[in-house]
Order: sequence, then C-alpha cells, then structure tokens
Amino acid sequence: MTAAPAAALLQPAPEYAIDTKKLNLWYGTFQALYEVDLQIRKGMITSMIGPSGCGKSTYLRSVNRINERLGYVRIEGSIEVMGQNIYDSDVELIQVRKQVGMVFQRPNPLPISIRDNILFSHRLHAKGGGGVHQGTPDEIVEESLRTVLLWDKVKDRLKRKATELSLEEQQKLCIARLLPVKPTLLLMDEPCSALDPKGTEAVEELLWELRGQYTILIVTHNMAQARRASEECIFMLMGRVVEHALTEEMFVTPTHKETADYIEGRYG
Amino acid sequence: MTTANAAMFQASSLNHRNARVQSLYRILFGVMTLMLIAPVMMILGTLIYKGGGVISWEFLFTAPTDGMRTGGVLPALLGTVWLVTVALLLSVPIGVFAAIYLSEYAGDNWFTRIINLAIINLAGVPSIVHALFGLGAFVIFFKFGTSILAASLTLAVMTMPVVIVATRESLQSVPPAFREACWNMGATRWQTIRKVVLPNSITGILTGVILEVSRTAGETAPIMFTGAVFFTPFLPQSVFDQTMALSLHLFVAATQVPGIAEEVPFGIALVLIGLVLLMNSASIAFRMWLRGKKKW
Repeated sequence: MTAAPAAALLQPAPEYAIDTKKLNLWYGTFQALYEVDLQIRKGMITSMIGPSGCGKSTYLRSVNRINERLGYVRIEGSIEVMGQNIYDSDVELIQVRKQVGMVFQRPNPLPISIRDNILFSHRLHAKGGGGVHQGTPDEIVEESLRTVLLWDKVKDRLKRKATELSLEEQQKLCIARLLPVKPTLLLMDEPCSALDPKGTEAVEELLWELRGQYTILIVTHNMAQARRASEECIFMLMGRVVEHALTEEMFVTPTHKETADYIEGRYG
Repeated sequence: MTTANAAMFQASSLNHRNARVQSLYRILFGVMTLMLIAPVMMILGTLIYKGGGVISWEFLFTAPTDGMRTGGVLPALLGTVWLVTVALLLSVPIGVFAAIYLSEYAGDNWFTRIINLAIINLAGVPSIVHALFGLGAFVIFFKFGTSILAASLTLAVMTMPVVIVATRESLQSVPPAFREACWNMGATRWQTIRKVVLPNSITGILTGVILEVSRTAGETAPIMFTGAVFFTPFLPQSVFDQTMALSLHLFVAATQVPGIAEEVPFGIALVLIGLVLLMNSASIAFRMWLRGKKKW
C-alpha cells in the first residue's frame, strides 16, 4: 500500500478513525484477509473496491465484529477504533455496535413504525448514560430524519410502518436510525445495490451531507460510485490491500497494474 | 392476412391434449378436497341430527342421575375445562420457552439435534403409552394420586411437542434480516426476541396452542388412569381432586351403561365438540385482536 496521501503531508498529522494493524482473518481454514494494514481518516468518506471475494466486505464486517457471530471466524491483529482495539477482552460488544453503525445491501427497517425505527436504538442505549442524543423523542425523530433528507417526505406518516416506504426511503431510514446514538463510524456494505439510479444518487448526496460529522466506510461494486462518492479509495484483491490513495489519484494514476486493470474493467 | 399466419395461433393437437390432462388433474384435486371435508360434515351432521335433541340448559348444567342414564353432563364439562386449562398452564410456558431457546439461542450441534429427535419421538408416542407413563410417574412416583394435576401433567407432556414445533416454526418464519438489524444496533438477544421476534410470531404460536387445546380436550386414554373417573357426583374443588371428563364420559355412556337413551352419547359428543370450538374461537379472537393491535 502507498504511504499517507500526499495532501496530508501539508497538514497536521491526520486523525484516524480506524487503525488496522496486521489483520489476518480465517473462515474455518480459509484465510480471507492477509496482513491488512489500513488507516481510515476521521470525518472522511473512504470507499473500498475490488472483485467479489476480495475481502472488502469481510473487512467491513470485522470493524463492528458482526463476523464473529458466524462462530468459525478466527482473527489475528488489531482494529483500533478511535484508539481503542475493539478486539480487546474488556471491550463490550454492545458498545462496539453502538459506536459503529452498519448499513446493509438490502434495506432492513424493522416492521414497526417509522418513528419507532428511529427511536429503537436510542431506547436500547439511552439508559446507559452518555453518548446519545439528549433531546426529546420528537426532536430526535425530526433531527435524524432531517439529516437524511427524509423529514419532509415522511413527517405526516411517522406512525406508518417503515416497510411501506420505497427502497430508497427505507435505506435512508436505516441510516437515520443509527444517528440518535451518536456513532463515530458508519459502515455501509453496498448500500445502493438494491436501489435504482435515482435512489443511488439520493443516497450519495446524503453521504456528502454526513461527511465531516461521521467517518464513513463504504464498500461498493460500482466504480463510478466510488469515484463520485468518496475521498479516499482502497483497492483490495485476494484478501490483501493493493492500493490505498486519494480517490482522484487512484482513478487517474493508479500505481499498481492490478488496480489499473480492475478500474478499466479488464476483470471484475 | 394469409391462412398460414392464422394457423400459427390455432390450437394444435398437443395443446388439446395438454388442456384435457390439465382439467383431469383439476377435477382430481377438487374431488380429493371434497373427500377431505366430507367426513367432517358427516360427523357434525350426524351429531347434530341425533344428539341435538338432548341439548338443553338442564343437560349442560346438571349432574348425571340414575346411573348416568338421565341428567346432564356438568361434572364432565367442568372437568374437561379444568384438565385443559391446567394442561395449558403447564405446557405452554415450557413449550414456548423451550422453543425460543432452541430457535434463538442454541446453535445447531449434536446436542440440539438430539433434543430435536427427542421432540419428534415424543410426538410419535401413542397416547396409551403416555397414560401408563403418567400413571407411573405422576400418580405413583410423585404421589399426586389420581387427580387433575396428574392427568393434566400427562396431557401436557403429550401435547408439548405440538407447542414446541408450532412455536419454532413461527419463530423461524421471522426474517433473519430483522434480527440482524437489531443485533447491529446493539440489542441483546432478549431485546431482539422481545421487541421484534415475538411480536411477529405470536399469531403462529397461538395457532399451535389452538391445536393443542383441541387435542387435549379430546384425549381419553391419558386421563383414564391418571385423574378422570367414570362417575363422581362432586365437582372438582382443586387440582388434587379426581374429576369426570367429557371424553371419558362419552366412552362410558356409549359402551358401559346399559339402557341409556341412544341420543345421550351423541349429545355428549356434541357438547365436547362445542366446547373445543368455543375454546378455539376464543383463541382465534385473541389472535385477531393481537394482529389488529400489532403493537405487541
């Protein structure tokens, strides 16, 4: 992988939301990640691209430890989120899930009202003290929905079931419901692959809205999306990080032949 | 338009043959469906025709007299209500909680596979075997005597597999994506179950309970040795009393009582079926109320 992007040299040392050191991961006997070292800049949008099975989703899923529910996953190395190795034994899984929100390929709102979806996570964590939105439920619902540019569309039907919304709206709701507990990190696993071009555009627009306030790591199969909607880009192949650079640099002057070949669509 | 073009859209002999075969199968399936409901209709029809005449308030609310040749069915009716209620109170919590454990907590390993095998086998055990087990275990070993408690325990053991299987199936019909969504927001398993899984499966669970009510009310063998008696003039006061039961009362009236009027057993059967229908309607109404609420 390349060194920190050139632009960073001119500024004070960059802050990293995720610092991954020598991460190896096995599913049973199959090794899915090899010696992954990745620093994800705080407050930026970083995209991960690569052919199917390259390990990008696996990496994403190990950042909120959802992988380990499979039971046969083994991990070596460390992933530090805001300086804390989330694989340390004294780390509470529930807190990891609160700090690191995840958005899936298929929108998965709960079959309850729009309002209850937004408040679901907040209700789980509110009694645990600090680190959550302190407003009234109504304020939380409005603010979260405004942030994802959904408020005006749904403000009159907050009591309706979330599953009645369009896919695009559902996906925005799935992002919105993470916000009331003030996560540091938003992980998105191909969040637009179930959406049409218009929905995709809307979600990308939303990513730029959230940028700065949240660190966003997005896995995508869509190279045009990586190019449009991210500031840094990571290219993975066969469980290894091949290249990590500013998005504009990677797409214009990739330093590795594999990256160039993939970006130009010679395999994928 | 030429004739050649028109022929392209005419039915061929193959189309005709396929259409004939198709309608044959349709008739076959229809006839089978009729055969399915025919026995039900015939049973209900016979019972109402032959036994409808004896049904009266007096029949429902008085005890049998004159060696069960006259009088009513009240002790048996109440006894069945007792047996079913106590059996439900015992088996529904155990069955539902066990099913939740198996489906939501336990993984798929040799231990849970053995449990599954045991459940399937338990469902396949003939009711007379359950009766003897109940006699040995609850009446004699636990010293409950022949009592409502012993009989209901036996019924509960017998019907538990129905509850477990129905509950598991309705839990598993809740899409995994809902659970994932919850876990990813930091919900514990219990929070996930309570807030998402149960509200979406409760109606299916109740269906299992309804099935269990029907089966419990109708069983005769398991209660014969464990708590039900041919005749007692007393109404049960507690779970440690013996009791009459409709199913056993029907058996006795139909086979053991000489000189009984022919329509009395039909009347008893009608009361039994009516009771089951009533209990089922109550749980169906409850289920519809829950579905309408959808909040839980």
